[in-house]
Amino acid sequence: MSESALLRARGVTRWYGRGSALVRAVDEVDLEVPAGQTVAVMGPSGCGKSTLLHLLGGLQRPTDGEIWLAGHRIDTMSERALARMRRQHIGFVFQSFHLMDELTAVENVELAALLAGQSPRRARRRALDLLDRVGLADRATHLPSALSGGQRQRVAIARALSNEPLIVLADEPTGNLDSAATLEVLRLFEELRTAGQTLVVVTHDARIAAIADRMISMRDGAFADDSRFAGAGNGSAAGTGTIYGGWR
Amino acid sequence: MAGRLLLVCRLLLRDVRRRRTETVLLVIAISAATGTLTLGLALNDALAGPYERTRAVTAGPDVVATPTATGQQALAALAPLATAPGITAHSGPYPMAYLMLTARGRTVQAVVQGRDDSPAALDRPAVTAGTWVRPGGVVVEPTFANALGVRTGDTVEINGHPLRVVGTAVTAARAVYPSADWRIDSGSPLVQLAGLVWVDSSEISLLADGRPLSYTLNLRLADPHASTSFRHRSTAGIEYTSWVQIAETDGRLVRQAHKALLIGSWLLTILAVAGVAGIVAGRAVEQRRRVGLLKAVGSGPAMVAAVHLAEYLVIGLAAAGTGLAVGWFAAPALTNPGAGLLGSTGVQPPPLRTVVTVTTLALAIAAAATLGPVVRAATTDTVHALNDAATPPRRRRWRVRLSRRMPAALLIGVRVNARRPRRARLVMLNTLITTTALAALLMGLAQDRTVKLGESELANPRDTRTLQAMLLVIVVVCVLALVNAVVTTWSAILDNRHPLAVARALGATPAQVTVGMAVAQTLPAVPGVALGIPAGIVLYVLASNPGIRYAPNAWWFAVALAVLLTIAALTAIPAMLAARRPVADTLRSTPT
Repeated sequence: MSESALLRARGVTRWYGRGSALVRAVDEVDLEVPAGQTVAVMGPSGCGKSTLLHLLGGLQRPTDGEIWLAGHRIDTMSERALARMRRQHIGFVFQSFHLMDELTAVENVELAALLAGQSPRRARRRALDLLDRVGLADRATHLPSALSGGQRQRVAIARALSNEPLIVLADEPTGNLDSAATLEVLRLFEELRTAGQTLVVVTHDARIAAIADRMISMRDGAFADDSRFAGAGNGSAAGTGTIYGGWR
Repeated sequence: MAGRLLLVCRLLLRDVRRRRTETVLLVIAISAATGTLTLGLALNDALAGPYERTRAVTAGPDVVATPTATGQQALAALAPLATAPGITAHSGPYPMAYLMLTARGRTVQAVVQGRDDSPAALDRPAVTAGTWVRPGGVVVEPTFANALGVRTGDTVEINGHPLRVVGTAVTAARAVYPSADWRIDSGSPLVQLAGLVWVDSSEISLLADGRPLSYTLNLRLADPHASTSFRHRSTAGIEYTSWVQIAETDGRLVRQAHKALLIGSWLLTILAVAGVAGIVAGRAVEQRRRVGLLKAVGSGPAMVAAVHLAEYLVIGLAAAGTGLAVGWFAAPALTNPGAGLLGSTGVQPPPLRTVVTVTTLALAIAAAATLGPVVRAATTDTVHALNDAATPPRRRRWRVRLSRRMPAALLIGVRVNARRPRRARLVMLNTLITTTALAALLMGLAQDRTVKLGESELANPRDTRTLQAMLLVIVVVCVLALVNAVVTTWSAILDNRHPLAVARALGATPAQVTVGMAVAQTLPAVPGVALGIPAGIVLYVLASNPGIRYAPNAWWFAVALAVLLTIAALTAIPAMLAARRPVADTLRSTPT
């Protein structure tokens, strides 16, 4: 395994239940994601894609195995340290958006920055900037209930980028969207990939897989196939501030 | 019609069986209010009932005559009264002396009456422990004996003469301790607080050390109204005290306690409404789907309302029964023992007036707390209800803006608090009532609960009883407030599972989330405490006699701190347990 990988997983396993009811949601998975790579994880429902993503983001703990992010082993971290890791280095995008209903779009985006202790002024400026980049500058003061599905997901993507994460983990980001909204989100992910943002996207949508540098197929909790496309994982743009500058 | 009734009953029974914990909590909440009201009403009866029973059992007089003169002059003044027109019976005259009694190292004023075991037409004190007077023995009125801490077999001294306590007895001819009316000199119009004892007639002159004796004559009047037309009067050197005056004086023993219980029942009623409203609000979310199903299969708004109201009214009736039973059977603890009177409440079944009042209160609490949610359920759109969509949280713009400048834990707390203002109001009300009751109790504790009888001080039974009643109220208030706090906290945690999980996914630590929840519940409690302390003081001042003492400031700070810390801890513990649940599980189970 390469020591330079941003995200590394070794023998990661997650079981549910016991005895005859034992379910191996994720079964001894090894994964290495270099900085700047876009990885699409595909597979049938219930194959363990979302569980893997939650394990990689520290939202769940593995039954066995190791997970390293930016040189830190996260599977043994305390809840407090894990929270700090999520705050500083990980951005999440969920299928169900998970926006706060009572907060406006800009307030939702700045929430992560405020939790990280940024000044309100700086957090707001960054949130407005991100909303502008996802094409929602004119919807900044709208509540989620006043936004379409695609707009909500774009707000969620802006929120995920709020703290300039090392990696964005997206769980079925187009699962709840119609075709037009899916295209909007696809465009954003394409831009992020071009800007050198490390992305791991769990999806059913072949169009997202098409823009990835690498596609992993999962079946019964294990990797069935791992395909790399041309130029995959070069990581050349990560942290350079040139192409990335558009998002950071 | 029969089919609908059957459906209502079936749904009611199934729901009660399915949500046992919530049903029990509802019954507890309403029972606390109805039980205290029952106790208050029972004590109301206690103001009159026991004296009347004592008067009947002891052949209490209509009027007691006591000349201002002493010795032979007094006997001469009383002699014509026994045969005066309108007098149908009499007993006495009995000798009396106003002496000092020493017991357990304390010397206090005592009214000493000389009696023997010859049968008397009127005022035959009923022995409640030991035996009646005999030479060398003294019988003590029970309330006085309790205050002195003496029992049958103990030795006391009267004017330095040792006497054995041979028993305790009650009478309707003289008010109980501390209102036995002691005089510094026989014939003096000025009376002081004291207790009553009986000694053998043959010994009273010796005990009085030759001081002139007073005399008292008990009279029964032919015209019963003649004794109720006055309380106390002085005519031709004779003081006449009617049984009405004595009954009133005895009634003062529990009057303040009665007031405390009635005020306590009001506070508990408000608390019960808040508690029931909290539980019902929590259930309303779960019941929304059932409302949708009922409507989908053809039920109209009236049917939906009937299904829901019937359940709460049945719970209200059960709570009325529980409160009545508990309150009625607990009443004797406050009127006995040692009330100085015979009989007590709780022996006979409660009067219809009490049953009706308590049942009305229980149903009113159930209706007041449930009417809003029931009407909302009945008028909810069917599709919306079937979708099981919870009422969206409120947006409080200024609180969101304000919280942006706060540390993460406070930011979470303020925003969680702002989402559900109704719940915050319930927390405030809960704290307000609890703090009001606690502040009133502290005021009660700050008072001097003793009476000075000569050189020594003894416990004042009125204050002791009032404090007992207040303690009872505060225990029930605290239990109910605790139940309310637990219910509100759990519903807050369940309601905020999703936003807290999102906050944790964005990097909030479990500690920040836990503190945030504690802050969310504690914030509305702050105005509750701030208002509750002055409210409790004002309530105590209004309900008390003049000349009260105020509790030290340190007590107020301590109670405020204790209430707020209790609420914070009550929230922090379940919040901490909830924070242990993996974020991914919560996010998966609460999609938006």
